[in-house]
This record gives sequence, structure tokens and C-alpha cells, in this order.
Amino acid sequence: MPASEQLPGVADTGVTEFLRQMKRESGRTYWLGLVLGAWVYALTPIMTVFVPLPAFVLPASLRDRHAQRIMQTRVYLIRQAVFLVRLSAGLCWGRDPRVRERLGLGAYAADPGTYRTT
Amino acid sequence: MTHVAFQPRASDKAPKVELEADYVVVGSGAGGATAAVTLARGGAKVALVEAGPWRDPEDYPSSMYGTMRDMFDDFGATVAQGRAFWPVVQGALVGGSTVINSAIAVRTPADVFERWQREQGVGGGLGEAVWRIQDELTRELNAVEVPAHARGKHNDFAMVASQKLGIEGHYMHRYVRGCDGHGQCLQGCKRNKKQSMNVTFIPELRERGGTVVSCAPVERVLFEQGRAVAVTGTFREPVTYARGADFVVRARRGVLIAASVTHSPLLLKRSGLKLPALGEHFRAHPGAPIIGVYDEPVDMNQGATQGWASLHYREKPGFKLETLSLPLDMLAGRLAGGGTLLMQRLSEYRHFACWVQACRAESVGRVVAGPFGKPVVKYTLDRADMERFREGLVLVARMHFAQGARAVLPGIFGVPYSLTRDELPLLERAPLDPRAYVAVLSHLFGGCVMGKDPARSVCDERGQVHGVRGLYIADASAIPSNLGVNPQHTIMALARHWSQQILSAA
Repeated sequence: MPASEQLPGVADTGVTEFLRQMKRESGRTYWLGLVLGAWVYALTPIMTVFVPLPAFVLPASLRDRHAQRIMQTRVYLIRQAVFLVRLSAGLCWGRDPRVRERLGLGAYAADPGTYRTT
Repeated sequence: MTHVAFQPRASDKAPKVELEADYVVVGSGAGGATAAVTLARGGAKVALVEAGPWRDPEDYPSSMYGTMRDMFDDFGATVAQGRAFWPVVQGALVGGSTVINSAIAVRTPADVFERWQREQGVGGGLGEAVWRIQDELTRELNAVEVPAHARGKHNDFAMVASQKLGIEGHYMHRYVRGCDGHGQCLQGCKRNKKQSMNVTFIPELRERGGTVVSCAPVERVLFEQGRAVAVTGTFREPVTYARGADFVVRARRGVLIAASVTHSPLLLKRSGLKLPALGEHFRAHPGAPIIGVYDEPVDMNQGATQGWASLHYREKPGFKLETLSLPLDMLAGRLAGGGTLLMQRLSEYRHFACWVQACRAESVGRVVAGPFGKPVVKYTLDRADMERFREGLVLVARMHFAQGARAVLPGIFGVPYSLTRDELPLLERAPLDPRAYVAVLSHLFGGCVMGKDPARSVCDERGQVHGVRGLYIADASAIPSNLGVNPQHTIMALARHWSQQILSAA
């Protein structure tokens, strides 16, 4: 989810801290799936843009093409694995106040994470 | 008037947390909370034991990340495994899924009871009892039509579209008081308008002297001489997942299981029950959306998250149509594509209206224990269901076009990202492979179904588990067929009916 003229990209929305938070707070199953999906995304440019390099070292234009094509692969398990990466990116990006403001949406209040203890 | 929340594990081998009540109810969703308050109204002392924490509206999250973390069972990672992996959405907190659903109240159709009678030998006379209770619940929890000011454009558009096509459609009846269309039903209603169990029946249970035990996943039901006498487990801290003290809640008269369609059968299996139907006969209403793209902003985030529905095709071919606004942070993962293309697509968010079909699928699955003991649903739609599923999506697309959408976004692998009205035949010929669809299972049934024959069912029509005294089912896991309508009203009515019978028998 790169930045566009209209919208900040996921890298502008504190994704590193978000991932730390997610590692801490998500369940084992979800986190394992996300890590697996990230590896699949990183190692599959050979299938999409025919370059034997991991996604994170590709130039931006090739990486973008990879991001588009990997979601259209015929291999269902790969699609599903990367789906989880995109879902997680969307959770981070879509809650960002600048993104929401650009789209005319109100900012979210904080997630308190609290519960009754008595 | 007790609430026992997470109890840390003491370092000095402190004794377990021990409690006692007339009845112990496991699970606090629509079924469990209704059963518990009904028993309490009848004068019984009730302990309600819930795996998740008790969150009040001021504790609710706003973002979808917070919702998955704080409210969804296992962070939303429960999936149906079959030919495709489709997520199973359930709440895991005091109030269960009633906190995160749209509080939709639909009377149980008569044909459902006829089917139960025909296929399972139960249901004779059950309809009258359920309908009488549903009338009570409608009054108690204020099931009213979505008020005009709270509908929002995406619900109004659907109503107009259905009228243009001559399809029956209606604004939903929901358990709400003073809904102002804030559009955050999925995240729990922070404005405290939704009449979910954690703000209605469970507080009443406490006022009537009941005990709520939260952060307390039950591991086993204990038996003595063929009778259920207690439940036991270990407290779990909801933020760190740290294990706490062990607990035992003893039941003088009976144990009611209402831990959900996925958890109830596994709990009984872990407890040593050997009934062959345990975990079997799982059914669902798999749902998927078609997004309409309009020239004018629709702002689907404003107005009731779900406010319009149609039962026109419930019996034949077998699906329900309804609106469902998706928050931006959820939609970002749902739209097709990636990279700059996805960003372009997301920039149109305000112009999207999301309507779904929920398929009354006849395919049957089963619930089994997966890795780490988590529930896994084995479930695949057969071809007839997939045809029904696709037909529902085509109809949703037609509704969008009738209302003036410039395009629809099917979100189906093998179908272009965007279709115009002229391209609708591409949707009609969409693949029937479940792997082409991103669907969600939100209405679940079975796993501990009721019936006369212990070889094909887990409990009888009073919810009593075959062959075990003092053990009852009180949630959707007892429902032996799909309903074709939103299930909360039926689950609550059945739970109250069974609880009243338990009181009468005692």
C-alpha cells in the first residue's frame, strides 16, 4: 500500500510500531499466518515479475507490479497467505487519522483495551 | 451480586477459586445470557462463566484492529477449512457475539420447526413456545425498525433498489434503544444503544444475585454418577494471555453449555462425552458482499451498519439479502488488487455501498479440535450451494445497478475487479469454486444438535444431553438446521424455553 497523491501509504502510518503491537497482542495462529504470508510475499517476485530477488530489494515500480500480480496468482494458498498481509496492512492504514481525514472520515478514538476487573 | 474477573495464579499453591450455584451456565452470548437470566428470574442462583473479559461500552475499541484484539474469538483467526479457508466470526467477551453483531431480530419461520420435526423428530409444539417468547423478547429488548434518521444512504438505497426490482425488502428490526446511526455496530455500540447481553440481561442477572465469572475459559465439565456437577478451568488474562488461577464452579442442579457452535462440542468432547453426533451437523449462512460504486458519495460508514434486508429468496433458491457497511480499515483488506492500484481503489471509499447475500447453505460440516486445541470447522459448500451463493451475488449486483451504481466490485477471483451493467453476464458465469470467493461464516448452527435419536443428535428437544443428567445445551449448537434468517432471536427464545422447562422440572 504505497503512498499516492491523495493518500498516505502504509509506511507513513506507523506500521513498524503497529507490527510490534500486533506481535504482542494477536493470537499465535494469526501471527504465524502473518509471518508466513510476509515470507511468501517477499519470496515470490520470481513468479510475478520474473526477478529472482526478494520483494524488499526490488525497485518501487517492480515491487508495485509484484504487489498487484501476487494477489492474482492462480495458487490459492499463496493468495490466502498474502491476503493476511494485506488485511493487516489495511488494519494499520485504515485507522490512521490522516488517512481517515483525507477520505472525509472522522478520526477513531483510542482503543482503550480495558475491561472490568471487579 | 458478584463479578469474579481474572484471578492471578498465586505463587504459594493457593487453593483454586471455588464457587457454587444452583445452575452453572457456560458462555454468555445470546443463548447463555438468556438462559442465565431466565433461571435467575425463576429464583435460582446462577453462575455465568465466560471465557472472555467483561467490557462495557466505554471499554469498546473504535478500530477494527482493536475489535479483533478485544472482541473476536482468537483474534478472528478461526477459519472453516475445506476447499477454501473462510473466517468464522464470533465474539469472545461477556455478551458474546451480541456485542459485535447488528442485533437483528427476525421471528423464526414456521418451516424451520416443520423441518426439525421431519428430520430430527423434535419441534412439535416448539414453534408456539418460541414465538410467544420472541414476542416477550421483542418487548423486553425493544426490537424496533431502524428509525429513519439512523438509516443512512446505503440502507435507503437498498430499499429503493428492491422496490424498483419488485423484491420484498424491509428495514430491519433490531434490539436497540435510541439508535442514532453511528455506524459502529461491528465494534460494539460505544453509545450504548444496542441491547447486547452485557448491558441488559447480564447486569439483571447480577441484580438477581447471580455471579458472573469472566476471563474464565472452561476446560472441562465434571461428572459424578452420570450427572454434571461442576465446570473447571484456568483464568486467562485477556491482554497478555497469561494463565491465572484454576477455578471450579459447582452446580447443585445443572450445567448449561452455551459456549458457541465451535466451542460447545469441543468442551463436551474434552469432558469425555462420546456421543457420535458431537461436533457433527455443522451448518452456516456463508456470506459475501458485492460493492456498488456510485457517482455521489454514499458514506456507508454513516447510518446503521445493517439496516435493510430481504427474505424474498429465503425459501427458493435460498439466500438472504442485506446491507452491511464495512469500515475502511476492514475494506482495505477486502478489495482486490495491491500496490498503487489498491490505493486508487480505496480513494473511492465514500462512493461505495456494500450489500451482501447470506446463503442458506445445505452443505454440512463438522467441528474438530485443531492445533493448540482451537476449534477448526471442516466445511465446504457443494455445487448446489455455490450456485445459490453466486445467484445471490448476481441479484445484489442487479440491485446496485437498479439504484444507479456506475459499477460493481464482485471481489471474485477470475472475474474482473469492476463490472458495468453490460458486463453482468461475467458475474453470472463466475467460477463455482469456493476458492474464488472471500466469504465469511457469521451465522453458525449445529455441533450439539437436538433430536430424538442419540445416534444422530446430542440433546433432546428440552436441551438435555442424551444420557447425562443435569447437562443441557443452550446455544445455537443445538439448532439442527440452518434458519435462513438471522439467528439471535431464535437462539434466545430457545434458551429461554429450555430454561423455563428446567425450572418446571425442578
